[in-house]
Amino acid sequence: MKGFCYAAALQFRLDIRSKALLITCYLVPLLFFGLMGGIFTSLDPNAKTALLPSMTVMGVSMGALIGLPPTLTELYGTQVKKMYQAGGVPLCLGAVTTALSAFVHLMILGGILYLAAPLAFDAALPKHPLSYFASLALLIAVTLSLGCVLGLAVKNQSKLTMICQLFFLPSILLSGILVPVSLLPSPLSQLGMLFPAYWGYRLMQEDGFGWGNLWPLLIILLAAVSVCGILLRRIRRR
Amino acid sequence: MKAAIEVQHLQKSYGEHTVLHGLTFQVRQGEIFALLGINGAGKTTALECMEGLRQWDGGSIAIAGTTGIQLQSASLPGHIKVQEAVKLFSLWKGAKPDAATLESLGIPSLFKKQYQTLSTGQKRRLHLALALLGDPDILFLDEPSAGLDVEGRHSLHQQIRKLNQQGKTILLASHDMAEVESLCHRIAILQQGRIAFLGTVQELTQRLGKRYTVTFQTSQGQVECSALSLGDCLLEKLEQFRQQGISVEDIQIRRGSLEEHFLQFTQEETP
Repeated sequence: MKGFCYAAALQFRLDIRSKALLITCYLVPLLFFGLMGGIFTSLDPNAKTALLPSMTVMGVSMGALIGLPPTLTELYGTQVKKMYQAGGVPLCLGAVTTALSAFVHLMILGGILYLAAPLAFDAALPKHPLSYFASLALLIAVTLSLGCVLGLAVKNQSKLTMICQLFFLPSILLSGILVPVSLLPSPLSQLGMLFPAYWGYRLMQEDGFGWGNLWPLLIILLAAVSVCGILLRRIRRR
Repeated sequence: MKAAIEVQHLQKSYGEHTVLHGLTFQVRQGEIFALLGINGAGKTTALECMEGLRQWDGGSIAIAGTTGIQLQSASLPGHIKVQEAVKLFSLWKGAKPDAATLESLGIPSLFKKQYQTLSTGQKRRLHLALALLGDPDILFLDEPSAGLDVEGRHSLHQQIRKLNQQGKTILLASHDMAEVESLCHRIAILQQGRIAFLGTVQELTQRLGKRYTVTFQTSQGQVECSALSLGDCLLEKLEQFRQQGISVEDIQIRRGSLEEHFLQFTQEETP
């Protein structure tokens, strides 16, 4: 347990030093928030009610689907994996601690957006902060599990960058955070339901916290964690 | 002498390609043993099977004691500091790092450095320090001196000898014949996944029947002869020259190196 706690804290520090995760977990989401928040609220004053969840979903998707996978590929697609195995470090440790570290970073991002949205754009805050943050935590966990699948499945960094975009862009475009789902053609809105961002965005809105939006996220989480387990076993045999 | 590592009929294939064809050998406790072979002979695969990093298809491997592993190509996250790496690995091994061992490898002076800023030699020293955590009985070293300069190599060899004197069994795979000749008690030469030779360097020399090469510079040109015994070669030739009235101007005696023997052996044994 001591080893695990040290590894988790160490990964958090490594992420700060590497800066790559910081860019995708803080810098780009906050720039996007600053830019799009201004545009949305000036175009449509009603956007203030959905600004916080929409910007948060965008930030979480970016951090988990663009930021996390390359870190895992660096770990499992290189000689670092063998070094850890040779040193008696469990193979799953890298994935778990990297995901945990990203989870903390994205929760911090969610907190920053929560504090900044009303100050910067007079955005509405949720009436039930507890269920809002519970939804946020679940969305982060589910999106990170999907990011883990990508990072473990693809060994090549340049291929990974493209594949991550294939998951990130539909997440953003089809989840309703930029364009209302009702305006999308039916096949696209149905495609959007495959991504955690769609359900997370609904879950984080007022009166959205309920089983109807929870179970799809739990199913995606379960499926992604199972796939991660299979991929880790495959990596061990590689 | 008891066996520290006992490998019996070890088999390994990658798809249709068989890499190890039933290797059988023992590494005795307290010895330095080398696996030699040209690229693709199966050294690293055999080593990784023994280290437990690779599954094998048939046969058995018995290891008597705890192990430490230094890999041929290893890496750590670029931003990890040396001190953090030592702590992480020692926590997972459940062993406190031995200050004297770390000191002898010059690790404390690197504690604050990030892994990506270390030189090849410093990385090798760190990898060895990590392999030594928990004071293992058996050390696996894969190409331990690859990429090291002369000074680094000398220092590493001293370290390996010291560890062996402390009672550690060391199994190394190497391309550096001078290193193997100076360090190892016994060697195994792998060819196409099979053990082609197992024994001491002296036994290899005897088997090849060529230990000394003598070059005579005579009045009629240069004459060279090779033999297991210096007397056979030198005295017989001198007598022959005397009888033929050939004057000898210079004699050079050279003892064959393991590298030459290895090359000769692999060329002769290749089907």
